[in-house]
Amino acid sequence: MKRWRAILGNTGAVATLAVLLAAPFFLYGWFQNGVAALHLRIDPQYSGGEVARVIQRDGYQVVVRKPVPRRSPLQRVDPFVQMTWTPAARLPAQVSDEIDLDGDGRPDLLVSFDTAHLKLDVTPRTPGYRPVHTAGVVSFSELIARVNDGIVVRVPLR
Amino acid sequence: MPERTLRAAPRSWAKSLLLTLPILLWSLLMFSRAMMQPGRAPKLAAAVTLLFMVALFFQMVRTFQTYRWRRYFFVAVGFLFPIGFIWDLIALRGSMSIPVERMLSGDTPFCFMVIPMMIVPAALFGTIVFPGSILATASNPHAIAAMVALWMCATLLLGKAWCSYGCFFGGIEEGFAAVAKKPRIKKLDPRLRWMPWAVLAAVVLLSAALLEPVYCTWLCPFKTVTEYMQVRSFETAFQAAIFVVLFLGLVVVLPLLTKKRTQCSFLCPFGAFQSLFNKTSAFDVRIDRARCRPCVLCEKACPTLSIGAESLESGQPRLSCMKCGACVDACVRGAAVWHIRGTEVGPSAERARLMHLYSAWGFAVLFGGSIIANTLEKLFGLLV
Repeated sequence: MKRWRAILGNTGAVATLAVLLAAPFFLYGWFQNGVAALHLRIDPQYSGGEVARVIQRDGYQVVVRKPVPRRSPLQRVDPFVQMTWTPAARLPAQVSDEIDLDGDGRPDLLVSFDTAHLKLDVTPRTPGYRPVHTAGVVSFSELIARVNDGIVVRVPLR
Repeated sequence: MPERTLRAAPRSWAKSLLLTLPILLWSLLMFSRAMMQPGRAPKLAAAVTLLFMVALFFQMVRTFQTYRWRRYFFVAVGFLFPIGFIWDLIALRGSMSIPVERMLSGDTPFCFMVIPMMIVPAALFGTIVFPGSILATASNPHAIAAMVALWMCATLLLGKAWCSYGCFFGGIEEGFAAVAKKPRIKKLDPRLRWMPWAVLAAVVLLSAALLEPVYCTWLCPFKTVTEYMQVRSFETAFQAAIFVVLFLGLVVVLPLLTKKRTQCSFLCPFGAFQSLFNKTSAFDVRIDRARCRPCVLCEKACPTLSIGAESLESGQPRLSCMKCGACVDACVRGAAVWHIRGTEVGPSAERARLMHLYSAWGFAVLFGGSIIANTLEKLFGLLV
């Protein structure tokens, strides 16, 4: 038994060296692909959630994402819905859009903002959304921010 | 193999050079790409790093001492990593602070500290509670998949020895701990060693409940020298203040006073998490009870409170042992020894040390070496 344990231990020691040799050429890439293959996603409170629909406007588009609900009673980020106006460069100075979030043909929100100063006004047309009158980032669930080539708006849910 | 004690004569130059040869070849292979880059700075940085890493390994082989020489490498990584990292942040976005806009676009560089906190939410919701990118992007090369893959390789190779050869933060406090000749505070309550486990349990549970990386948001002292959330409110200002206080207390002042790695010993949840993988490594440190006359030199030398009275009795350091080799270097009787699991303690200690060093130093060249070379390249770029 002692002998077998020693053989096992020495085999492990040699295998460690083999792992080192394989690490930069094979293992690292395999593990990286393995992690990517798990299909994990960045939490929607950061990424904004899955894209629900894209609304085409004259010269720009509004990417509407699925509402991000509260998944834990202790979560500090309130539920919200995210929309992105893109490309920011082609937006008029003052944007005012009626947005149909759920695709039922009726507008759910009237979103108005000033692209230069990022002043935001959101008036709910249907229940379920909170009105917003703010500038910049208030919290992860209530904000207007320039992100990459778009303007992101997050509206808190009721 | 000669028996290792502090009194052992150094190995011959020829034999030391021969034993260093594999690391020299490995280092040449690892730095070959950098050496072929255009410009003098990358070549010079790679050459200096290569010489540094090979010279340290040579000294470890020749003098039979591990901790003393490893520390130069580890402290170099600890101090050069923040310089290179902050340099990149300033070049990329002009500030060390990360605004919410950058978090929303997934531009937060991923750090291994998040790994224990992301496991439960990933299992429950399939999401990673960190505002980074799964795969590398132009604006965020420090992607989650790459860092997790690196951690998996390191864990297979090193287990808990990650904290001695891989962690790019530990060197800062190890550097401060090396400054004083003698500790001002000699007695530390051994119960404090449970603190990282408590912090680990708390941050894992709270991260799952709050769906955010709680340690990064509230406790990480190294935010002070890397990146922190842009101060826009009382809450973010309070968080930044906590980072600075913890950094000054646990990474600077207490290591100076105790000569211990106090952040690692009393706070770091990743260190506790990594202890769980200590048994995956084929190598460990043992105390040969037949040789030990409990002089507790090893206990005093251990930077992480991993040796206590029960370790001397059982012949095994605690689970938190990070295989830095401080106890082995300190033991004048050669009772603290390197060991391959399953084998007899003692007779092949030097062989075990060398085999451990080849794998650990090989990883150090690969990972820590690239950190050193990257920062040196930036610094040399200013000069040449």
